[in-house]
Amino acid sequence: MAPEAATPGGSARRPGELVLALATLALGVFVVVQAGSISVPGSTNTLGPRAFPYLVGAMAAVVGAVLVVAVLRGRYGQEEGGEDVDPGVSTDWLTVGLLCAVLVVHVFTINLIGWPFAAAILFGGASVVLGARPWWRAALVGLVLGLLIQVLFGGLLGLSLPPGPLLEGVAIFRG
Amino acid sequence: MDNLSALLEGFATVAQPLYLLYALFGVFVGTAVGVLPGIGPAMTIALLLPLTYSLEPTAAIIVFAGIYYGGMYGGSTTSILLNTPGESSSIVTAIEGNKMARAGRGAAALATAAIGSFVAGSIATVALTFVAPVVARWAVRLGEPDYFALMVVAFITVGALLGSSVPRGLASLSLGLFLGLVGTDTLTGQQRFTFGVPALADGIDVVVVAVGLFAVGEALYVGSRLRHGPVRVIPVEKGWRTWMKPADWRRSWKPWLRGTAIGFPVGTIPAGGADVATFLSYAAERRLAGPRRDEFGRGAIEGVAGPEAANNAAASGVLVPLLTLGLPTTATAAIIIVAFQSYGIQPGPLLLQSESSLVWALVASLYIGNLMLVVLNLPLVGMWVRVLQIPRHYLYAGIILFGALGSYALNFSPIDVLMLLAIGLVGFFMRRYGYPVAPMVVGMILGPMAEDRLRRSLAISQGDLTYLVTSPFAAFAYAAIVVIVAAGLWLRRRERRVNAELEQLAEDVRAAAPTQEVNR
Repeated sequence: MAPEAATPGGSARRPGELVLALATLALGVFVVVQAGSISVPGSTNTLGPRAFPYLVGAMAAVVGAVLVVAVLRGRYGQEEGGEDVDPGVSTDWLTVGLLCAVLVVHVFTINLIGWPFAAAILFGGASVVLGARPWWRAALVGLVLGLLIQVLFGGLLGLSLPPGPLLEGVAIFRG
Repeated sequence: MDNLSALLEGFATVAQPLYLLYALFGVFVGTAVGVLPGIGPAMTIALLLPLTYSLEPTAAIIVFAGIYYGGMYGGSTTSILLNTPGESSSIVTAIEGNKMARAGRGAAALATAAIGSFVAGSIATVALTFVAPVVARWAVRLGEPDYFALMVVAFITVGALLGSSVPRGLASLSLGLFLGLVGTDTLTGQQRFTFGVPALADGIDVVVVAVGLFAVGEALYVGSRLRHGPVRVIPVEKGWRTWMKPADWRRSWKPWLRGTAIGFPVGTIPAGGADVATFLSYAAERRLAGPRRDEFGRGAIEGVAGPEAANNAAASGVLVPLLTLGLPTTATAAIIIVAFQSYGIQPGPLLLQSESSLVWALVASLYIGNLMLVVLNLPLVGMWVRVLQIPRHYLYAGIILFGALGSYALNFSPIDVLMLLAIGLVGFFMRRYGYPVAPMVVGMILGPMAEDRLRRSLAISQGDLTYLVTSPFAAFAYAAIVVIVAAGLWLRRRERRVNAELEQLAEDVRAAAPTQEVNR
């Protein structure tokens, strides 16, 4: 439970953690540099729109630098625990990638096939990626859930979720 | 007496059948999300925000109050009944309560947690009723630099204490502050960090960030290391009337009161939220246990009763700076501020005067929500156990779906959902490398408010920086930072040591447990 101690598999996590620390540092530098190009209107004898960004950028840069040094000296962060997190397994990047892909597909299908069906793709896809079997049951659950939300939030609460070409004429699905 | 009549009016508002229904809905949803791992009250409120725009403010605030309290109750059920102790904030309850459940005393653990939460919640709400107007009256006299000082205190303590590593907390905070900068500067109308993208001119929506960090980030992180196989819940005996034996009552009532006395004041100061209160109460109970001290770590009922009470009392305490100063000290409080703002209400010292009926309706709904929760929770525990057993692939897929719905419903633009994914990925990496996400949300919401105060202060003083520290209150606040952070870090080191001890005990039992469970 010691927080900044090397954990098993610590060396494997090192590049990623270093990248995150470097990204914090880079963000800080970027903010400071960019803050200089914010235009300051007319005569402001007090604090203009640049000052606070300078402060924020400086803070990010300093903290980022501290973190880079800490990681290089082998002081790693304590990854978050949780009821459903298995501390014994290493990160499954495929799952992360597939979940992101499913979400992107969802985004681009909302306006094409309507929200309920895009939602079915998102729910069905994500649950299959996370281990739901058989796949058609997950898809079915997703479809029912999508239609239910459409009726509840679109039809009853009046959110304008697009029902899609298939359900266009059905009154209970329209927001 | 003024307050009491206002409170009674609040009760009259909330007692209308429709509002009672909203309150019931709120505590129900709140408990459900509290029971489910992976979602907290902060995320739930953020999610419901765009979905409840059609409600009037009072109704929405009552729902949110129910979710806020319900979430606190639900969390203890999870930590007591699941085999794996949950997040660090509930680790002491998790270990004591989990041990009790394993020893067949799960019902008593659940009952002492629920009744303790009720006792603490009720007392703390009474305290809130009387403390808030006093603080508000005092807060009206604070000047701009005083507010800026308060916000700096909140930044530093939130950044340093919410999480396990100070630099990582501060990195998360500065990331949030940066996101708060994006958009059009309110005082001069200049675009900042918008990169010429028109969609960014209004700034990044807090809902997208909160949902992205808490929902999508969490789902991606858990998905990357999912514990496969069925969810094993420790069975509880039926018949809730016999849950608490007379001996349990005798051993519980003092820890409840002590937990309340510790939790409420700790909640009111920005010192890391309920986490600190929970641990302080646990440490106090262990010290006062006398001959029973050996039971701690093996299932002492005092170790559940005290911390659970402290946790709930702290949750009410957090509302004091929120309603009187507009100062959020936890991620959930920050989201509640956003909820107020979305209805055009600015929390601050004038809130109690300008929106008096709304505030008192909120306070009244806390009393009623507390009562509903204790009535709901004990008999319905069987249902919550069923909720706890939802297959994890469906649970996290559902979390992602509702996250996507919430951010899509903001502007009905798919771009927001893509933004959600981007923020979710940031949240994933932050979790993976031990960066706490809560300071980021607080920073994003509090940042613009702090900048506003800072610039107004310096406009008054015509650029004289000493104006920021010369008011007695501001000077006191800056001095207090050092004390609070030092005390907080010292406490955390102690907490870690106690947790390590308890973990060791837990490991021993866990090693012996599997065979025993199969037999049941």
